Amino acid sequence: MSESPEKRLFRDPAALAAGVVLGAIVAGAILAPWLAPHDPYATSRQALLPPMWELRGKPSFPLGTDGQGRDLLSRLLFGTRITLMIGLVSVTLGGALGMAVGMLAAFYRRLDAPLMRLVDVVLSFPAILFGLAFSAVFGAGLTPVVAALVIATVPDTARITRGVALGIARQDYMEGGRAIGLGDLTLLRRYLARNCLPSVFVFLTLRFGQVVLLGAGLSFLGLGVRPPTAELGMMASQGRDFLFLAPHVATIPSLAIFVIVLAANLLGDALRDALDPRLRS
Amino acid sequence: MTRQITHRLLLSIPVLLGVLLLGFLLLQLAPGDPAAVLAGPSASPDLVAAIRRDMGLDQPVWVQFLRYLGRVLRGDLGRSLISNKTVASELGNAIGPTIELMLACLVWSIPLGLTLGTLAAVRRGRLADRAIMAVAVAGVSMPVFTVALVLIELLGVKFRLLPFIGRGGPLWTVDGLLHVTLPAVALGFVFLGPVARMTRAAVLDVLGADHVRTARAKGLTERAVVLRHGLRNALVPVVTLIGLQAGYLLGGAVITETIFAWPGIGRLAVGAILANDFPIAQGTIMVLSLSFILINLLVDMLYVWLDPRLRVA
Repeated sequence: MSESPEKRLFRDPAALAAGVVLGAIVAGAILAPWLAPHDPYATSRQALLPPMWELRGKPSFPLGTDGQGRDLLSRLLFGTRITLMIGLVSVTLGGALGMAVGMLAAFYRRLDAPLMRLVDVVLSFPAILFGLAFSAVFGAGLTPVVAALVIATVPDTARITRGVALGIARQDYMEGGRAIGLGDLTLLRRYLARNCLPSVFVFLTLRFGQVVLLGAGLSFLGLGVRPPTAELGMMASQGRDFLFLAPHVATIPSLAIFVIVLAANLLGDALRDALDPRLRS
Repeated sequence: MTRQITHRLLLSIPVLLGVLLLGFLLLQLAPGDPAAVLAGPSASPDLVAAIRRDMGLDQPVWVQFLRYLGRVLRGDLGRSLISNKTVASELGNAIGPTIELMLACLVWSIPLGLTLGTLAAVRRGRLADRAIMAVAVAGVSMPVFTVALVLIELLGVKFRLLPFIGRGGPLWTVDGLLHVTLPAVALGFVFLGPVARMTRAAVLDVLGADHVRTARAKGLTERAVVLRHGLRNALVPVVTLIGLQAGYLLGGAVITETIFAWPGIGRLAVGAILANDFPIAQGTIMVLSLSFILINLLVDMLYVWLDPRLRVA
């Protein structure tokens, strides 16, 4: 019973495996410039080379090459960087904004109704529509995609935060803080925000996978990063032209996205179970 | 019940206005001159000036908004910059195929998801449960384009079993059915996971309730307990949750349509955005928002219909 959440988390083999895999992927992405055997943008004459374990494969291109003879392993490492970055930046920005909205709604009761109605309206548009709308207006690119993902993260985070913050705002220590003369800003920052953070963090971990999927999907459609930048969704899309000749060009980046999202989802599930004992079965 | 539906319909008016405002703002927010955006990148200055006069861009913003509202309500959404057909007719041609694809996807993924979820709940903690939940998590984590590409590679390219480009005809023809199969399987696969997960949670919740214990105590077969008392009551939350996933499904549909060259709204939208065909892009985004609102409205009504307690209130 008195087991700490960390211990519970690490006893779950799926969570442990997911954590290790995700850690390795993040490390690979960070160390991409040193790990990549080739320049991810350098083309060669050896186009559509299969992975090295296949008959025509070459050890110098471990995962083979794409349609322009670029090394797939190097592009995969650099592409993972961008894909993870899109997810991380969107979830962090959207999470921070959403948390601020939720806390304000719970702390200043006058703001509650207007803020939450606004949240309802934003929530009534699916995330993909923001992506389509932004790229329709501003053209395809990294910024419209991130903006769409941020906006799509705000409403749900705001709702979750508001729920948690309402409970905390009723606690005695909030009253105590007010009694010793702390200002609203200090109360919000030191008391409310810190106590909301664990729940919001769990929610955002669960959200991260979805955001990565959506970002990759928009890039796949050609609405995200522009070529030649390597990004996993766009790499998968470029591989579509070679499905018959060289399916690995599309499959390898697709699988990479799957592994990232799967690991994030498993970790998020385990985190929720460990930190939120009510949900534990 | 009528009162609830009226109430719900009234509630959707501000959202509807939001959609119209969004369509208007799309043009206002675009960097540069809206007339230039509408005219397209290769238009002559004369054309841009004509459009500016035509749109009344010299008028105050609120006048512009009212005029825009009037045009939209008359069904005048402008013309495509590329095909020169009216946006309304392009949308009209694309909406049928999208509904077809959605139906073909839901008709197999929802029943299967309900079955798998119920099975997992009944076998809770055992091998069947773990296997089903593993598949569900994989389904939730898989990009829809990965599923689509694998299906195309295996069933389309390698074994040549099924067509994977375009629409073959109406759903009741053989060719139509063959063409819709792969896109519907791809889209349904990513929807299966959420449905199974939600069903499992809802059924588990209900199976712990008092009336289920009573049903067991009075000697009903396990089958009757699970189906009549468990699944049936679990349907109420599941329907709501499926409604909440409509956006997720819409996103998947846009990608699926693009991959399989399915001539629906999603493909029209992506094509228009990539080709800078602004009027079509604006029209598709508005239709997609409207359909999303409509789906949620239908789900809410279904919810009232499924839960008799809500009917009297």
